[in-house]
Amino acid sequence: MLSLLTKNEVEMIHTASMEVLERVGVLLQNKKALDILEENGAAVEAERHVVRIPEYLVRDALKYAPSRHRMYSRNPKYDFTIGDGKPYFTNAFGAHYTIDLETSERRLATLKDLDDFTILSDFYPTVDYVKPNIMPQDLSQDVLQQEMALSMFKNTEKHCSMLALTPEGWRDVIEMAKILVGGEDEFLNNPAIIDTGFNNVPPLKYSSDIIEMVLECAKYRIPFDISTGALASASGPITLAGMLVQGIVENHAVLVLTQLVGPGTPVMWGSCATILDQRHGTAAYGSPENGLIHAALVQMAKYYGIPYYGAAGVIDSKVPDAQAAYENTMNALISTLAGADVIHDGVYGILEAGITASFEQFAISNDICGAIKRVARGIRVTEETLAVDIIEHVGHNKNHLTDDTALMFTKKHIAEEQWHPWITDRSSRPDWEARGSKDIVERARERTKKILETHEVPPLDREVETKMVKIIKKRAKKS
Amino acid sequence: MTTDIFEELRTAVVAGNTDKAEEAARKALEFGVPPLEAISKGLAKGVREVGDKFAEGDVYLVELIVSGKAMKAGMAILLPAIKAQSKEIERSGTVVIGTVEGDIHSIGKDMVGTLLEANGFQVINIGEDVPASVFVDTAVKEKADIIGLSALLTSSMPRQRDVIEAVKESGHDIKVMIGGAPTTKEWADEIGADGWAGDAVTAARKAKELMEAKG
Repeated sequence: MLSLLTKNEVEMIHTASMEVLERVGVLLQNKKALDILEENGAAVEAERHVVRIPEYLVRDALKYAPSRHRMYSRNPKYDFTIGDGKPYFTNAFGAHYTIDLETSERRLATLKDLDDFTILSDFYPTVDYVKPNIMPQDLSQDVLQQEMALSMFKNTEKHCSMLALTPEGWRDVIEMAKILVGGEDEFLNNPAIIDTGFNNVPPLKYSSDIIEMVLECAKYRIPFDISTGALASASGPITLAGMLVQGIVENHAVLVLTQLVGPGTPVMWGSCATILDQRHGTAAYGSPENGLIHAALVQMAKYYGIPYYGAAGVIDSKVPDAQAAYENTMNALISTLAGADVIHDGVYGILEAGITASFEQFAISNDICGAIKRVARGIRVTEETLAVDIIEHVGHNKNHLTDDTALMFTKKHIAEEQWHPWITDRSSRPDWEARGSKDIVERARERTKKILETHEVPPLDREVETKMVKIIKKRAKKS
Repeated sequence: MTTDIFEELRTAVVAGNTDKAEEAARKALEFGVPPLEAISKGLAKGVREVGDKFAEGDVYLVELIVSGKAMKAGMAILLPAIKAQSKEIERSGTVVIGTVEGDIHSIGKDMVGTLLEANGFQVINIGEDVPASVFVDTAVKEKADIIGLSALLTSSMPRQRDVIEAVKESGHDIKVMIGGAPTTKEWADEIGADGWAGDAVTAARKAKELMEAKG
């Protein structure tokens, strides 16, 4: 629906990116990865860990990288295909603090918060698959990834995207996923039961751990997103066109490596890049520039024939207020209209650019993203929906609320045509006043409490859970 | 004349003009302006002015950075004269700043460095992926008052604790401040850091507080 760049501009951006990839290259702090790239024709400067990648390796990689791939879930009714033309939304990632639902006080985030946000993700229809909304601060680091994975497996039947922080922990999470699907062979057939995501260290660098975990994904063909994280005017150029070039180079380096190691590994090619606010020295995610970067990179991803994954909808505001709502809406909507395959951070239950989780904001964002998804569905234009016969039938003197044929027509199409919000207020003033004149934050809080009391997620098979717990205990003992 | 030279130094820094700052510094020496005063009433005054404006949201970070560069260029010219007089530049303090071992992020740490310099600190930026021993050795060698530790990865945060322990073991009175996206005030307290900041402006303020407490 939205096409930001001309065909010529797309070509210019591609050409510039290939030039940087070939001439400047990318720094990978990982010898194994550098060796693989060198064996396949890239030029490696071993001392600086810099690899320069020729365009033909990118073209080769694009032959193997899937344009779409299916994601699997604990309950198959939640399976979906990324790259099928529909936008898929995830919740937010990794808050360190939570605004307590009962006391409204900001406190350190806990594992219980991750349980709760995952239950809510399971409930919210806008969340197509689930990210770790919380980075619990009450866990020891050697079992952090594993405990988080268990919490998510337990509290949703939807597809889970797990935290990959250290190679050791990530391997444990893979073992837990194997248990979930019933064993090694089942997992090899079905690795998309989980996925994960990686960022670079801009400009143009990747840490050793990240590359090691990328190689682990490529080995199993576990889907993952690779998202440039550059900040314009700090870790990337001030110009947005330059940011696109740098982002493409950063993402393509990993795409090439992945397809060399595990051809056909699904890579979601994305961005959490944005601008550095030059007045405050902070990363501004709720900025219009963030939306522009997504819209342009969606076009580039389509040009390359790979799915686009954008961290769009991140909120800078510290409270669930009007600023929060506009930031979330603007960039999630721009990305959706541009045709992003995944709107990560769309249903955004976090404030303060990823730092403080808010239950209220999560509920509000569920409504925002519901509306955006309705926009994405567009207008169905068929002979039936053009409704010429109905318009003629109702004519000038009847209406669609009185005539039987018209009523039947409305009833038939209402679910497809109209989206109905959950906590947005559209009532009359007397009605709203009679219900206590509550604003959306208050309504969000009340409804959230109710969901957490009532929503039930079918438990994991007891044996599966026991085996997963065993992996965690084993790791805890080792450390 | 002297007042004019102070003004020239100050405006060169405010404008972020390195050439002009150097030119004015040379002029100061030529006309016998005491070099320490050329700094305090000229160069440093300019950078402080820009730093204050940045804190108020009135200037861009890029302007503060180029002002800092202009100030340093001017100081480089005045420094030999100061040394010849066996005098020392008055500083808010000396900070050794770097990103901990296993982490190669630089942006946040560099911004904190800029703000510290704008606030009169001497900043020794020792880069990224820095082992605990290097932090301590550098701080001891440079007689630093504060060590600033950045960590951008949840997995590299524990290295901040290592540095704090190494400082304690060394027996030197060096304060340690930490920061970085995954860190929290609670984490800082847990590992016994002397200060935590979530942004560069607060970090500079915190560093000043630590210096005042040190007396």
